[in-house]
Amino acid sequence: MSRYDLNVLLYRLKKDRAFRERFRNDPEAALAGAELTEEERQAFVRWNPRRLNELGGPLHLVLSIPDLGGH
Amino acid sequence: MGRIVYAAAMSHVLHPPYYEKNVGPDGKRMVEALIAVVAEMGRELAARRPDALVVVADDHLNVFSFDAVPAMCVRIGRSVRRMAQEGAIEFDRALDGLADRYPVHEELAGRILEDGLEAGFDFAASWSAPLDHAFLSPLTALHGDRPMPPLVPFWVNCFVQPLSSARRCFAAGQHIARVVADGPWNVGIIATGGLSHFPELSLARVGQSDVEFDRRVVAWMERGEHAPLTALTGKELHETGSHELLNWMVLLGAVTPARARVRFFGEMGRIDLAALDWPLP
Repeated sequence: MSRYDLNVLLYRLKKDRAFRERFRNDPEAALAGAELTEEERQAFVRWNPRRLNELGGPLHLVLSIPDLGGH
Repeated sequence: MGRIVYAAAMSHVLHPPYYEKNVGPDGKRMVEALIAVVAEMGRELAARRPDALVVVADDHLNVFSFDAVPAMCVRIGRSVRRMAQEGAIEFDRALDGLADRYPVHEELAGRILEDGLEAGFDFAASWSAPLDHAFLSPLTALHGDRPMPPLVPFWVNCFVQPLSSARRCFAAGQHIARVVADGPWNVGIIATGGLSHFPELSLARVGQSDVEFDRRVVAWMERGEHAPLTALTGKELHETGSHELLNWMVLLGAVTPARARVRFFGEMGRIDLAALDWPLP
């Protein structure tokens, strides 16, 4: 159900600097309104790229978000 | 009658700092050796004086958002821009300092698109999609300071499931060859990406490749054995990290039954680097 939102959030984190800064300052507020499972939400809030990838987040996005991506 | 005058496929992160950071000095040296080979291939391409260059590559979730991901997309219009990505990681830093805008061969792009729709290929069209490293890194290594011929960027979705089949990509390449044959132009075609890396697109498996698989597919290309390549399944491509082989399948369809010549094959562990060309009459 919520894979689309997970992907869109990752895409916005890569492409939208203002959104990325909001997320870095207050991840829970930045995610408000997104249709995420609790597991997905926690993976974002705790910034766990491996878990986000396991939950369906595209590898190339997880790798390439400025200042957040990583191998 | 038009002709395909040049055909080649190659890895597309031709950026030594990326490999230096992620593999070390051996990785950097290997990609520098590959870049030298690709530069020589570029001189051979230039000698064929193509009127247009079709470039088959993929989007790394840079260009097409999740609102719509085309299975295959033809870039139309008169020119195409380099992707801009602030805060880019090494992949995308391969674009730093490159020209901002490149010419598009509008007429050939339109023929591939419109004749494709007539022939049953529901290609998407884009007037605005920019080019990421999958296009511009190999194009830059091929051309150096020489001007590029007008391009026909052609995207294959290699990463957002569901993907087109290897067989369908091969058929799309056959379509491109028919369009070229029916037109007046001398056309080059390159495909980029690979070889195997990022199996299952799993972050936990970044750093792994499948050398045996890569040796097998390259050997098929050398022998002109295209049937086993078109029979490759999505599962095989996914498990081995060979998603970008779909780009190569388009090229193979365009040049079949020609046999490939291996110009470079390097086993790096993280990825197997390669450059092949297809000597054409």
